[in-house]
Amino acid sequence: MASSETWTRWRYRYIPDKFVGEILSKSWIDTLIPVMILAGVVTVFSIAMPGFLAASSLSDIARIYGEYLIIIVGITVVMMAGGIDLTVGSTFALCNLVALLVINSMEVNLALGIPAVMLVGGLVGLINGVLIGYLGMRAFLTTLVMLILIRAVVDQGLLDYGQVIARGFNASATWEFMAIGDVFGVPSSLVVAVVIAIVGHIVLTRMRFGWHVSAVGGSRRSAYNAGIRVKRTICATYVLSGLLTGLAATFYAARMSSASADVGKGLEVTMLTAAVLGGISLGGGRGSITKAVIGAMIVLLVQNSLIRMGLSSGTSSLVLGLLLLAAVAVDVRWVKNRHKVLARAYVSPTYFRLPPLPETAAGSDSDYALNDKLRGVEAIGLGELDGPEDVIFDQNDNLYCGSRHGDVIRFFAPDHKRWEVFAHIGGHPLGFAFDREGNLHTCVGGMGLFRISPAGEVTKLSDETNRSLLSIVDDSRLRLADDLDIAPDGKVYFSEATVRYEMYDWMVDALEGRGNGRIICYDPKTNSSRTMLPDLQLPNGICVEKGGQSLLFAETWGCRITRWYFDGPNKGRKEIVVDNLPGYPDNINRASDGSYWCALCGMRAPVFDLALRMPDFRRRMVRKVGRDDWLYPNMNTGCVIKFDADGNILDVLWDLGGEAHPMITSIREHKGWLYLGGIYNNRVGKYRIPGADPNWTSLDDYWGERA
Amino acid sequence: MPAMKLLKAMAAAAVLTAATGAAVSEPYDDGQSKTYYETVKGKKVAFVPLSMGFDLTEGWNAGLQNQARALGYTVEVRDPNWNVEAGVQAANGFIADKPDVLILHPLDQQAYNRVVPRALAAGINVIQINMKSVTNGDAFVGADWYDLGVKQAEAVVAACGKDSGKNGKIAIVTGQAATPTIVIGNMAFDDVFGQHPEIQIVARQSADFDPAKAQAITSTILKQNPDLCGIVGVWDGQDSGTAAAIREANMQDQVFFVSSGGGSKAAACDNIENGSFDAYVSYDVPGQARDLNAALKILLQTKPEPGSNPFALYTPLKVLTKDNLTPSSCWKLEELKAMGG
Repeated sequence: MASSETWTRWRYRYIPDKFVGEILSKSWIDTLIPVMILAGVVTVFSIAMPGFLAASSLSDIARIYGEYLIIIVGITVVMMAGGIDLTVGSTFALCNLVALLVINSMEVNLALGIPAVMLVGGLVGLINGVLIGYLGMRAFLTTLVMLILIRAVVDQGLLDYGQVIARGFNASATWEFMAIGDVFGVPSSLVVAVVIAIVGHIVLTRMRFGWHVSAVGGSRRSAYNAGIRVKRTICATYVLSGLLTGLAATFYAARMSSASADVGKGLEVTMLTAAVLGGISLGGGRGSITKAVIGAMIVLLVQNSLIRMGLSSGTSSLVLGLLLLAAVAVDVRWVKNRHKVLARAYVSPTYFRLPPLPETAAGSDSDYALNDKLRGVEAIGLGELDGPEDVIFDQNDNLYCGSRHGDVIRFFAPDHKRWEVFAHIGGHPLGFAFDREGNLHTCVGGMGLFRISPAGEVTKLSDETNRSLLSIVDDSRLRLADDLDIAPDGKVYFSEATVRYEMYDWMVDALEGRGNGRIICYDPKTNSSRTMLPDLQLPNGICVEKGGQSLLFAETWGCRITRWYFDGPNKGRKEIVVDNLPGYPDNINRASDGSYWCALCGMRAPVFDLALRMPDFRRRMVRKVGRDDWLYPNMNTGCVIKFDADGNILDVLWDLGGEAHPMITSIREHKGWLYLGGIYNNRVGKYRIPGADPNWTSLDDYWGERA
Repeated sequence: MPAMKLLKAMAAAAVLTAATGAAVSEPYDDGQSKTYYETVKGKKVAFVPLSMGFDLTEGWNAGLQNQARALGYTVEVRDPNWNVEAGVQAANGFIADKPDVLILHPLDQQAYNRVVPRALAAGINVIQINMKSVTNGDAFVGADWYDLGVKQAEAVVAACGKDSGKNGKIAIVTGQAATPTIVIGNMAFDDVFGQHPEIQIVARQSADFDPAKAQAITSTILKQNPDLCGIVGVWDGQDSGTAAAIREANMQDQVFFVSSGGGSKAAACDNIENGSFDAYVSYDVPGQARDLNAALKILLQTKPEPGSNPFALYTPLKVLTKDNLTPSSCWKLEELKAMGG
């Protein structure tokens, strides 16, 4: 091995490139951009103003921040539902006026006064909500008009009551506390704001109303079709925004006692800037309270710093306006291009070297020499099936296979011509196994492990396993459960092909050459699953050996078959049975003579073997070339091999020309015949095995003959 | 030779330095002047106007900067641009920086109520200029708004009241309701008009110190009341709009319009000359700038315990009309910048 290749091998073993893409694919990555902006803002202003981070100025900002935060929680909810609330500026002014009048001048008790002020805000929100939610008016125009209308009401109110307010003063201790009080140094408004933010976060992420809001914002029509009361949800968001604006205005009134005409002017733009800067999408459906929290912080720091730097009139608005423009631009571009960036950064190739490719030429003395044994095999369900990945038989010789439409299909014995949908699961069934009681177990891609009773009832057994400590992707969820087998004690061992890709992308996993898959054990006694063997190269076929203490598993991209003892004296031992296969192994099943069948779903090619030793090359390919032009492993032709427990190759069955069975993913021996499945095929093949036991069935081999 | 030349030059430079050094080293001390200069030198003064960019604040600032330059201290300005919230933030920012004196120009009577005591508690002397929040600082420099309101009201009573033979219908185009100008001024209006039952207030609307809004409001008032006798304005910046509306309606002869303000030439004298304003109560910004500087010098020298002994320098008001106008009635910003304060 060349020294540069050694270097490559070590470099890819110890530098975890895959984490970059995995971090980028996290949903909280959207929050990282505003966090970086915030860090930038803090750095710039700390350098520009020495006293910027002094405690005294921070506590001052924190008090205003509390008010901002209360408002922006409401705005976030509105924007998450796909709306916009420009009325806040005027609502704030109105509520401030009412608060000053009711609490400051008339000295109404705060317990009555504050809810009254909030109700005024809620009422404005209700008008918006009815107009936008129920009458279907455009949010932007409606709230803009309401902004102007309410401002007129405020102006009239100021004229009528301005003088009364200017003389009023409420001396109550609570009012004083709202104005200048703090709890352990945290200003009163911020304490309330934090509580509201936490509640808001829980509601948005964990509760029905929040999910409805996200659903409505994501797609109104789908939300409606799903039975969500769209109109009511939209209306409620505006009412909420109004109520919270009212609360914030109360704090402002306590702090400033100001009935100026400019109260709340431009607040709508400030809040909008904060929300968009935080990464709350204008299109709806995307956002979080955390983002709002950060966005408000950025805007307030910028605003306050510009004031304190003494820039001339209007500069502050100018800077804020530019920020909003920039944020909107970033929002639009990011939402549009995020998945593209991610797709390129996510694929993380690593170094993998296979031994030299074994000979397969016809007439050579290789174990794998080409022949034409599968030519002209019989077909079952030709043209009626779509993707029978695996095939299995019950004790009455009925044939079961899966379909891409999410069904389990049953062909009736003896001729397997008539069929019915035995059960509908909703995902593509990949592996099958019967347990002792005759329940059919299946691994469903994208869904998990399921059990189907003889009557056709579907039960989900497992869709999660334990979360690994250091994994960045959430590997507790089952993405691609692939094949399974059942041990004598009833435990189900199943493979998950990869934790990094969804079912429709499984082939991309080959480009990485890393062990992304694992073998998981489902224990029916505890009804839970645990990962047994992690970091396997697309683990696929699983077959429990006759002794009941070990199983064979195939690693598709590793081109090898391994034995693993899960019980008995050798428990935990792993040994390679067949290494350096000429193709990519898929399902493994028992044969009547005590040996094993294995399907090779594709054959290795020297070019791809070489590419696996060149991770940089594959990385460049992924970044620079369109997806359709990527170099993938060959899946156009395959074969079936038969091997014994020591790994000797006993037989090989080819379909030259690949007309009937270009890609074989599974094989099942039943009463002297070998049945062939293919994940992209339109039939199940039926091959007469010369000299095989015509009475042998897999079911009996596992669970013994039944009466 | 070059070495010789260099030596000569160095000698000449040394002599020159010694001579000038002697000239500046010992200025005459009359017993107070030395301490006066030393005390104020290097001090920090902070100024939060309600906004820069108009005659009052620019005029005061011109005076403040002139004196600061002359005496070797600094006046830093932070401009909240008509926004009360920003003003409070700016003032609080200054308090954190601990200047020696903080000059506030509150737009709102209530909003600075918590700022002033806070500054005082932080050991900063506070001057409030022209508008005073309810709380006292160390000094107030500016107009007595009640007195000003009375003078304006009396002028309009004289023009439209009992003895004038007019119908007594007047309108008030007021400004932002929370400012001391308006709050206190309105009380004066009410008191004066209360004693004159023949005066009938047909309209009272706020233009928020915005001339465009004042123009729109006035033109509506004039349409609704074609027989209007008088209008009371509150500040020349806004009142230019009111005057424009009166001119557009061609009612300059019929409507008596009284305004008030800082008395700059463009805002006051020009408008009195061309008949836009019939009477104008001026609080004379150059005088206020001088008072402001005086208050500043007093505080910097005496360093009183903040808030312990508040004093006020109320501005003498001048009522200007076409009849008493002289070339020195008004002022120009360029002149004030050149040598004001």
